[in-house]
Amino acid sequence: MKKLLCKGLGKLLKIFLLANIALFVVFFFDLDGKLMFYVVEPFLKKHYDNMERKDTMKSPYDIDKFPKYEYDE
Amino acid sequence: MNLPFDVSRLKASAAAMKDSIAKGAEELKQQGFDKKVHDFWYGKPHGERRLGDLYAGKTGLYKHREWRGVKDTMYYFYMIWLYNYITMVMDLMKYGGLVNFAKGVWRYRWVGQTYLPVLHWFDRGLEGLRGPALAASAWHYRGMVNSTIKQFQRMFEADTRLHGGEKNEAYWHTIAHNETVWGGVFYPWSDKFANVALEMIPYFVTCHVNSHTVLNYIDAVQSIGLPGDPCPMCQAEAGIFVQDDVPDYAPFAIICNEACDASVATSNLQDWFFDKPIYALPMPMLFDDPLVKKHCMAEIRQMWKFIEDQTGVPFNYEQLVKKLKLQNELQEFEWEKWDVAANTESYPINGVAQALYRIYQSQYGDNDIWHFCDKKVRKIMEKAVERKTKTFPNTRHRVIAWSCAPLYYSNWCTWAYNCWGLNVIINMDSLMFNMTIRTDNLENTVEDMAQYHMWAPMRRMAVGGMKHMFELWEYMEKFNCDMVAMYDQLQCKGVQGLHGLFEDEFRDRDIKAFWIPHALPDSRTVSRAEIRRLINDYMTTVMHEEPLDPSLLEFDDSMTW
Repeated sequence: MKKLLCKGLGKLLKIFLLANIALFVVFFFDLDGKLMFYVVEPFLKKHYDNMERKDTMKSPYDIDKFPKYEYDE
Repeated sequence: MNLPFDVSRLKASAAAMKDSIAKGAEELKQQGFDKKVHDFWYGKPHGERRLGDLYAGKTGLYKHREWRGVKDTMYYFYMIWLYNYITMVMDLMKYGGLVNFAKGVWRYRWVGQTYLPVLHWFDRGLEGLRGPALAASAWHYRGMVNSTIKQFQRMFEADTRLHGGEKNEAYWHTIAHNETVWGGVFYPWSDKFANVALEMIPYFVTCHVNSHTVLNYIDAVQSIGLPGDPCPMCQAEAGIFVQDDVPDYAPFAIICNEACDASVATSNLQDWFFDKPIYALPMPMLFDDPLVKKHCMAEIRQMWKFIEDQTGVPFNYEQLVKKLKLQNELQEFEWEKWDVAANTESYPINGVAQALYRIYQSQYGDNDIWHFCDKKVRKIMEKAVERKTKTFPNTRHRVIAWSCAPLYYSNWCTWAYNCWGLNVIINMDSLMFNMTIRTDNLENTVEDMAQYHMWAPMRRMAVGGMKHMFELWEYMEKFNCDMVAMYDQLQCKGVQGLHGLFEDEFRDRDIKAFWIPHALPDSRTVSRAEIRRLINDYMTTVMHEEPLDPSLLEFDDSMTW
């Protein structure tokens, strides 16, 4: 039981250490920035550029749609 | 054979030379190794860092992030980079959930293009910092990130476009307003309603994090025939509506003239495209006048009546007082910070963190995260003062930055310190709301709130008249500054008129000052490289100084976020 626990803890420690090293590599070599710059942003920009958008100029400007809010004391 | 020299001597001398060279090489090797260990452990000293060599091409990405010594690199890795990635995800889950966020990213350019690479915003602002300066400045960024997530998540949670046209509870309990309407005027309803500015997150913060996003909106408004010469901030704020990129998250809005004519035009376009009941809260153009103040007080009261009408929820004075007291606490700590900045060399907040956090906090109003971050910063600052730590040890000049800063290069002061030792101690945006608000009775409270409203951004010290513009001299002395970084917003007609007066005053008062021309959010008018070139020219030709880090003198960052 004790041996099994030690083994489990050792495995956890190993995973923790490996995760730390992997994250540090991502951090130090700015891999998160590079992923955003070269992959994520261009992909999203393409998506936004191709989105169908409402032609706002065709919206009527209903200036009398709402009542006049007057609260003069 | 008779030789003209003694061979044995020559041999001895050659052996001695050989020994000497070997010893020297050994010493050199030893010294090099020690130096390497020292640099690894403590980080390179300021003059040897060559931060410019870390950039990859024009992108502003790093070949690798800076090695700041073991302690500070690990602090940056765990307590800034990893901590912020984790807390950002937690914030997203806390405020509206990941599904709402994903929907928002897919629908709105300003969030997807801007906020995903937010950690690079930290990198740019915190370059070269060590110890308490690194820690305290990073907490300021954390505060802004949390507040930004909270606001855009509220927008997405309430947005009818992301929920099949449904007007949900969040929609009916959100108040929309212009970003220059101080969040404090909504305190009386803050226990039941959230207030989210229309442009703060889709426009203002984006310019600092990713300067490219806003260009879409500036171009959009010009594409419908508007001229390109008004303030690009107003253009961008209207352009978001032209692009139909504003979430439909609130049943009504409070708008404001933001103290300039171009903003009035923006409000007209917003009224058209937002198409909801709107109350226009004026920001008077004259404000050092008791009668105008009375008028402004009446306007605030009338706006409160409008909110009561729209929400059906009465004004709550107790809630207003409760929130104002919390806001006053923030202001009191800000005064403590200023005191340390003015009178010691242990102020641990760099120019960009000071400026952005302060304008964000004072304009948004009370928020839990400000108190949390201030507590962290207080601890760091008090420790630095107690130990008399020189937080910016290579300071050559204490700089005060005046007028409105370039949003796309708010981190210029980080560069200026690393390259030239120019330490921006304080800036105009931080000093605008230099007041607490009385809470003893409603009359006094409203009077102070009117004053606060009238001291809005781009107002008091930008287009607020010569008296306030020239408060520069007073603050320069108070903060023990010996140099002025004078911003010159090329498309602000109000400030342009004062350029010559400042030049005269600088000459008459024998003040060292350099100009930073810019077009607020639009990085195409004056590039970051051009700003750096102007400062380099000033520092070499006028000040006759050598750069601390020559690798930062010239580099191409035209594609940087």
